[in-house]
Amino acid sequence: MEPGLLKSADWPILIDIYFFLGGIAGGAFVVATIAGFLDGQRYRDVVRTGYWVALFAILPCPVLLIIDLGLPSRFLSMLMVSKPSTAIGMSAVTAGPLHFKPYSPMSAGAWGLMVFSTCAFVCAAETWLTDRKGRAFPRVRAIAGVVGAVAGFFLAAYPGVLLGATARPLFISAHWLGALFLAVGAATGSAAIAIVLGWRHGSAAQAALARVMTVASVALIIQSVALALFIVSVRSAGSAGVDAALSQLLTGSQSVPFWLGAVLFGTVLPLLLQLRVIGDRVEQSVRLKADTTSMTIVRAALVLAGGFLIKFVLLEAGQAPLNGLG
Amino acid sequence: MARQVAMFTDVSLCIGCRACQVACKQWNQLEPEEPEWTGSYQNHAHFTENTYRLVRFVEEPATDKAEMRWHMMSDVCKHCTQAGCLEACPTGAIYRTDYGTVNINQDLCNGCRYCISACPFGVVTFNHATGTATKCTFCNDRLHNGLGPACAKACPTQSITFGYRDELEVKAKQRVEELKKAGVSDAQLYGADQDGALGGLNAFFLLLGSPSKYGLPENPRLPQRNVFLDSLYSIGAAVAVGLGAVFAFRTRGRDRRVPASAEASAELRRSASLEGERL
Repeated sequence: MEPGLLKSADWPILIDIYFFLGGIAGGAFVVATIAGFLDGQRYRDVVRTGYWVALFAILPCPVLLIIDLGLPSRFLSMLMVSKPSTAIGMSAVTAGPLHFKPYSPMSAGAWGLMVFSTCAFVCAAETWLTDRKGRAFPRVRAIAGVVGAVAGFFLAAYPGVLLGATARPLFISAHWLGALFLAVGAATGSAAIAIVLGWRHGSAAQAALARVMTVASVALIIQSVALALFIVSVRSAGSAGVDAALSQLLTGSQSVPFWLGAVLFGTVLPLLLQLRVIGDRVEQSVRLKADTTSMTIVRAALVLAGGFLIKFVLLEAGQAPLNGLG
Repeated sequence: MARQVAMFTDVSLCIGCRACQVACKQWNQLEPEEPEWTGSYQNHAHFTENTYRLVRFVEEPATDKAEMRWHMMSDVCKHCTQAGCLEACPTGAIYRTDYGTVNINQDLCNGCRYCISACPFGVVTFNHATGTATKCTFCNDRLHNGLGPACAKACPTQSITFGYRDELEVKAKQRVEELKKAGVSDAQLYGADQDGALGGLNAFFLLLGSPSKYGLPENPRLPQRNVFLDSLYSIGAAVAVGLGAVFAFRTRGRDRRVPASAEASAELRRSASLEGERL
């Protein structure tokens, strides 16, 4: 009876889409910044694409979040209210009308989204000015790139931390959701860059594509480790409510999209294809066989679909009513 | 801060009359609702946007299974010392009053619903009419005018009592001793201990039997306790992903393996295609 009395925010699919797009934006921005710092000339297509993917992925996010509010007109309360109370929680900081609560991932997320979208706009605008007007602002891009990369990692990870800081049995009993979401964000962000690169530049971008997909594969491995650790630690928590929620995911209503979609097609298959690419590269002669642009795009699309599904099934299983389950 | 107040609900005295539930609805001007068939006299199944006090009717088979035993328990927001809803709230709408109770400022709440998922007791409810989160206010208006909550005022058996927390805690402990002396061995306090779970509940209970019998969690935890470790692991994952990206985009190691000419020709082809695009 005990877990059945818990309530749920019942966040709808809008929030799944936000988690997905926010992850892509954060991941793509991070990849762009790192590529730019290592060799801005050689990877300028990756950098340009990454910053633009980040900007376009983050644009709909505030809209999705605001639509989901019970009172959309009060969206600004997330950042400021006319006179914040001082007794609003652990380590809460207020400055004039502004307020920030480090222990509320949603408060931190609202600020993170602000910082990130500013950086995404600055970096995308800078690449546009460089490309079209021939005016570069390397220092501005470097600062916005670093700040935005930190914010981008944060943006990808914080929804997982937020879910972990709810009383829902599936979420509260493990510590790995933030790490999992971050890895999913990096994988989907890289995959989104790969798709745009492959689509715009075709085989000319082959070398860059291979590198971007390497990032995606590394992220997929980290994602798999985080997911395994999540399931193991949830299982070892072992109360009635936890078991009911976990069985939703592993054997219940979410099991097909989870195992078939998120795990098999979204993680295992892209990793196997990556292995084939590495194998082919060892035998230099047949190198391009599995590494064609269209193949890479298929692989990236699988990563994207898997990344959406993993977040979707977790949110569904965690929010499902716990009465009469298990 | 003013002296901490509390409500003490003694299940052993509850007769299930629901005067508290009615008084709560009247004082707080909560809308009438369609009754709900729960299989018992309990109505509703759980807290709703218009039910802040709820008498639970828990049925338990007697040891010989010949008849059922009834346990009545008037449930309410616990006004936790460490409150999941308050810590979750991103707008600062949920705040702690001078008396130590937890209240939602309806003028600030924007309906994000995080508090609903963060409450360890399933108390906070989304009000579809106002678009905000609602819950028991500890009759905040009465409290700030020198009155106790309406439910405690209305209770005819003094199952619900109101007072300063320190005094009430002493009374509650005496009551448990009394009951134990009278042979009620499973009498126990829930949430009275300020060193206990969630730093103590400011609406605490005397239960006859385990908390789970009444639908209460045995060991409620503050969800935000997870934030630190979850963030730490996330930073670990960020470092791993970052290193992975540096590995993928490294230029020196790769140059040795892939002939520079291959990449250079790709570069040429690409810049050629870009030139074409611009024309």
